[in-house]
Amino acid sequence: MAGSDARTGTPPSTRRQALVDAFRYRRQALTERLPELPGVAYVFLLPFFVLFAVFLLFPILYTIYLSFFTFQGVGGTTVFAIDLGFFYFPVQTISNLEFVGLRNYERLLTDRQFHNAMYNTVFILLFQVPLMITIALGLAVALDASFVRLRGLWRTTLALPISANLVAYATVFVLLMQEQGLVNYALGLVGIGPIPWFTSEFWSRFTIVGAVTWRWTGYNMIILLAGLQNVPQQLYEAAEIDGANRLEKFRYVTLPQLRPVLLFVAVTSTIGTFKLFSEPLIVSDAGAPLSATRTIVQYIYETAFIDFRLGYASALTWVLIAIVSALSVFQIKALGGDDGA
Amino acid sequence: MATIQIDSLRKEFENDEAGSIVAVEDVDLTVEDGEFLVLVGPSGCGKTTTLRCVAGLEDVTSGAIRFGDRDVTDLQAREREVAMVFQNYALYPHMNVRKNLGFGLKLSSGLSSAGIRERVDDVAEMLGIGDLLGKKPKELSGGQQQRVALGRAIIREPAVFLMDEPLSNLDAKLRAEMRTELQELQHELGVTTMYVTHDQTEAMAMGHRIAVMNDGTLQQVGTPEAVYRSPTNEFVANFIGSPSINLLTADVDGGTLTGPAGFEYALEDATPVAGHDRVRVGIRPEDIRPVNADGNEAEASVVEPMGNENFLYMGMGDLELTARIANDLRPAPGETVRFEVDEAALYLFDVATGEALKTMTDETDVAVGEYTTTGGE
Repeated sequence: MAGSDARTGTPPSTRRQALVDAFRYRRQALTERLPELPGVAYVFLLPFFVLFAVFLLFPILYTIYLSFFTFQGVGGTTVFAIDLGFFYFPVQTISNLEFVGLRNYERLLTDRQFHNAMYNTVFILLFQVPLMITIALGLAVALDASFVRLRGLWRTTLALPISANLVAYATVFVLLMQEQGLVNYALGLVGIGPIPWFTSEFWSRFTIVGAVTWRWTGYNMIILLAGLQNVPQQLYEAAEIDGANRLEKFRYVTLPQLRPVLLFVAVTSTIGTFKLFSEPLIVSDAGAPLSATRTIVQYIYETAFIDFRLGYASALTWVLIAIVSALSVFQIKALGGDDGA
Repeated sequence: MATIQIDSLRKEFENDEAGSIVAVEDVDLTVEDGEFLVLVGPSGCGKTTTLRCVAGLEDVTSGAIRFGDRDVTDLQAREREVAMVFQNYALYPHMNVRKNLGFGLKLSSGLSSAGIRERVDDVAEMLGIGDLLGKKPKELSGGQQQRVALGRAIIREPAVFLMDEPLSNLDAKLRAEMRTELQELQHELGVTTMYVTHDQTEAMAMGHRIAVMNDGTLQQVGTPEAVYRSPTNEFVANFIGSPSINLLTADVDGGTLTGPAGFEYALEDATPVAGHDRVRVGIRPEDIRPVNADGNEAEASVVEPMGNENFLYMGMGDLELTARIANDLRPAPGETVRFEVDEAALYLFDVATGEALKTMTDETDVAVGEYTTTGGE
């Protein structure tokens, strides 16, 4: 009864396939009959370019423009209007600006708060990036070892923090690091502390270092692990034959082979830490002294959206971009070399 | 310098799905001091695994490996004083040629950097790569990389040389050149050498002795002449020799062999086939002698001129035969070719076991002088 067609004897799966094929041919024939429009591909690409222009390109260009002005309030002057009789739409200026030339950039040289934010950011960077890369590399090497079981599980677990919800992550971190939190309790058991993780100028920075490291180590580990798995096994064998022990193989084979990947990790982590914003905000909400934890981006945010000094904030933004670019170029020059084979 | 002695070597690989796979089984092999031994066999026969066990890159499942009187079975590769040339050279991409050559010395010899420098210069000169010392491997051609890999091996003056298909990435002309050069080098240095290849021509050309492997087991060890003329079984006969030996199954009736498509051969001496109903008959391409009358009949299909000789492909029913014939002999496709084979040149094998019943000569070791008197004319 069920199964095959009584009249033709063909099994249903074959008939279904025949129907699918017939449909495909029909569709193909229809497609071929349609007129070919020149440049039709660009129509399909258009949504991306529109969104890119509105939300990325325009703001980037507008901040350059803004950085030479002082923001006086939202615009109200009508530039021109669209009047169709039944429909009237006045197009107004975006903002009310006063041209100040390079004065925003001059001010930055003597701005104590900016210098302080810069110092905090660099301080966090100098501890956080090397610490994270070292841990990530160590974990990657450990996971790459042939004797490790359940590699996939470890990998996922370690990479999980990047997908954690920021609010949940912040809440848990604040709870853990509180004066009477779990971390201090654990330290208390071995006779250390309690450490004022949030309220001390000294420790609050390390709280940020710890939080950022926890969040991003797994991500970098995965990249390094992929790099490690690309190192040709024969190089290790050649080194083994040449008399290299485990450490020498790491030093003379793994590290040089991993250099392009390490460079990528170092550059992206440096940029990431320069852009640090959420963690310092959370830590200052939890009571950390602003003078110790305020980062550049946090300062830009305050300048732009609390004080509404949009012109100055734009200038700060461009200086940050210049610093980060210069640093990245330096890293690529220093680490890249000419033989990132 | 040392002999390499392999006793009852067995190597299994763990495999999650199929349990364990036996790559090498019960291999007994001795490489004499200063000898050039070639391990040859089709891919997957266990030759590379055997070499890697000797190198210390693989643990052995059971058995023992000795260099001279030193048992190295449980030693790590870096403690064995071996040098190895890898198929794809495995040069350190981030080091220049000088550093590649000196790396082993830097790690394991007590030499000063000036001493290393001197040795590197010597070896580079010996191999003719003196002007490449400042270059990185990726700037070198295949042949140059090959030389550097070789230099890296000889610079450490190892007890044992291991080579894993070192010439297979080179083009044909360079391969032939390097073949000779390698032999000269090995002869000069006198280091015991184990050389792995899947190319039987290379094996024949280079080895003092050849060890033929198949399916993880050693089939035969002997001089190139012995392996060619007196193969222990059908596999060795088929594997060694280019073009390959012609093989067919024939029924035995007293001293007469009857094969497919009318193949017939009357043996003068029927003792090798006594007690057999059927045998496998092997005829080397150079032993097929075209004649004007009598003999077996086949139909010519293709002639490949080699210059000095012609390869003739012909059919006997479903059976395809290859013959090496004089270069002035060029049968047209479809033409009938009659041929004879000397009984002395006939190989006979057991149908079931493949074991040789009769080969070209019964002696296993033929002196070179002796060999030149026979051979297919």
